[in-house]
Amino acid sequence: MLTDFGILLLFILAGLGLLGLILGIGRLLRPDRPNPEKNATYESGEEPVGNANVQFNVRFYVVALLFVLFEIELIFLFPWAVVFGNEDLIQQTDGRWGWFALAEMTVFVGMLILGLAYAWVKGYLDWVRPKPAIPATESPVPAALYEAINKKYESKTVNKT
Amino acid sequence: MIQPPAIPEIIQLIPLKSYLILSTALFVIGIIGVLTRRNAIVIFMSVELMLNSVNLLLIAFSSYRSDPTGQVFVFFIMAVAAAEVAVGLAIIVMIYRNTRTIDINFLKKLKG
Amino acid sequence: MYPIVLLSVLGIVVLYLGFLKSKSILLPATLLFLVVAMIGNFFEWNDGELLYFKGMFAVNKLTLTFNAIVLFSAFMIVAMTQGFQDNEEAQPAEYFALMLFSLVGAFMMIGFENLIMLFLGVEILSVAMYVLTGSDKRNLRSNEAALKYFLMGAFATGIMLFGIALLYGASGSFSLNGIESFVTLNQRSPSYLLYAGLLLVLIGMLFKVSAAPFHFWTPDVYDGAPSIFTAFMATIVKTAGFAALFRLLSHSFSGIYDFWWPTLSILTVLTLLVGNIIAVYQDSFKRMLAYSSISHAGYLLIALTSMTKQTENAILFYSMAYSFATICAFGVLIPVAREKSLEGRPNESYEAFNGLAKNNPLLAFVLTVSMLSLAGIPLTAGFWGKFFVFSSAVERELVWMIIVAVLMSAVGIYYYFRVIMAAYMKEGDTATIRIAPFYKIVLIAATLLTILFGLAPGLFEAAM
Repeated sequence: MLTDFGILLLFILAGLGLLGLILGIGRLLRPDRPNPEKNATYESGEEPVGNANVQFNVRFYVVALLFVLFEIELIFLFPWAVVFGNEDLIQQTDGRWGWFALAEMTVFVGMLILGLAYAWVKGYLDWVRPKPAIPATESPVPAALYEAINKKYESKTVNKT
Repeated sequence: MIQPPAIPEIIQLIPLKSYLILSTALFVIGIIGVLTRRNAIVIFMSVELMLNSVNLLLIAFSSYRSDPTGQVFVFFIMAVAAAEVAVGLAIIVMIYRNTRTIDINFLKKLKG
Repeated sequence: MYPIVLLSVLGIVVLYLGFLKSKSILLPATLLFLVVAMIGNFFEWNDGELLYFKGMFAVNKLTLTFNAIVLFSAFMIVAMTQGFQDNEEAQPAEYFALMLFSLVGAFMMIGFENLIMLFLGVEILSVAMYVLTGSDKRNLRSNEAALKYFLMGAFATGIMLFGIALLYGASGSFSLNGIESFVTLNQRSPSYLLYAGLLLVLIGMLFKVSAAPFHFWTPDVYDGAPSIFTAFMATIVKTAGFAALFRLLSHSFSGIYDFWWPTLSILTVLTLLVGNIIAVYQDSFKRMLAYSSISHAGYLLIALTSMTKQTENAILFYSMAYSFATICAFGVLIPVAREKSLEGRPNESYEAFNGLAKNNPLLAFVLTVSMLSLAGIPLTAGFWGKFFVFSSAVERELVWMIIVAVLMSAVGIYYYFRVIMAAYMKEGDTATIRIAPFYKIVLIAATLLTILFGLAPGLFEAAM
């Protein structure tokens, strides 16, 4: 006699077996003629550049950290939610239970909000935009000359675009 | 008071001993990870593995005893572990910014 | 219970006070809040034994006295920070808030009645300390100390939690009373889950109080952290940790004393040997203080191992004497090291103290008293601390342990006197160090208290 877990194991084994069987049949039947176009990652012709394991920008890190912190505090809401609507408790206390539970949770969430507000005021939630550095060049030609030329041809470029 | 329900049969299907062995195994894997690995993040993950093995053990005991306090403790462990993760990652990022590495073998300024 | 609630709220207030333009309000505000918490602490002084949060937290005279020691130490350390005004990058509001929050953790460790509270207290205290250790963000030494402290601390927490889980599996309860009744019921037929759990919890806690062989992180962390936070760690974490250990062992596990005392006694002797002997070989005063803190953990462990009626008093008095002396030592170290800084880094070696007595007689005197107290010379509080510890061990007839401890105290005299010799005998060019008047008052107060309790240790018991 199989237990429930035994049946589960049978399912997994049968699944793996079937998968192997079908892939094996496919391998035997299909022609095998590789060429560079076929082996490319994107058959649409897009050339992949660089490695996928690049490091993420540090800017993601603070936001992610804040998210982890506030997200995990939510687990305390689950046990609260179970007893919050408990009809027995509400009837026994003439409805005061609900208000009591609500007030308790307001205090808890209020503290979390204080923490979030602190992070906000400190500016940790602001998305820092990269400031493109204007390349400085040292040329004998003064900048005013360039500006004059730019101004002169400004109208033409506008027309072109 | 709400009466605790009896232990469901489906839980009793697997003996408590199996849970004990599994979580001890996970815990020992975590300890070995902390002691042998050199990458701060991997050590950190090993510590998390230890904490989660504790969670598993607590939940197993808690359901075998039909006593919810064990599960409440698990909530606390999860929340505190998240706070620890936040601080730990902040420390690791701080070190990475200063040294461009998270290999703990590079950190040996303090000796004596 | 009042100080817990007060400091939790006031910590947030300090955090938000940091948004004000003027940072100079932070220090007086924090000191005021500590005084408020101290007053709140003594509100329950005459109420006897109280239980809060459905029996998860206890208040009695013992916990209130421990709270008072912790609060007083914190007050002195906060006063010595001088508002971090000499540091441009410092975030004083956050440091002060973290200090207040960590005190909440210490209170929870002191008065826990349920292992959930113990775990939360340990974590609140430790997580705040990890941040403070790494607060010197650009300093690689501080970074390294923070990472080491964090990884070792998290590791210890994991071990302790596994122990707690096993205790729960054995006894079906997290509360000290529940475990105690299980222990007394099953004294004859041992449960291996319980034994394994107790050992793991002990290992986790001994990690936190840096007893050998779980001490290896201590010197590096104490050395790398900013000195002011090292003082905080060395006094408050240790006091709270021993209060928690005492509570755990005396309350729940006194029934199986025969099981845990041999283990603990071996660790005690090991701690004494490691702490004192390695301290001799240190060149840095700060690092020596780290090893000295390990050796003092050893003395406190003697009291725990003997676990007689006197233990309670011995641990209280010893941790108080140790805290005051350590705060004095760091209080002298900080200005001296800053004055003699080498390559932009504070010079914490023994040489920095050369010739200190000539131009700074006050600092030299404070240093001398604190070193004498740490070494346990009569007429200082440290002597009576050791005396109480040893007499509780005599009551248990642990003579061999006392012999080791006395020998190690003799070793201790060598390295504590080294810095006194440097200050008085050696030639050096110490300029007169200017210290703020408030700083001076704190140093003098701690020194006077050390001498006062050294002359009349009965005062302390009378106050209890």
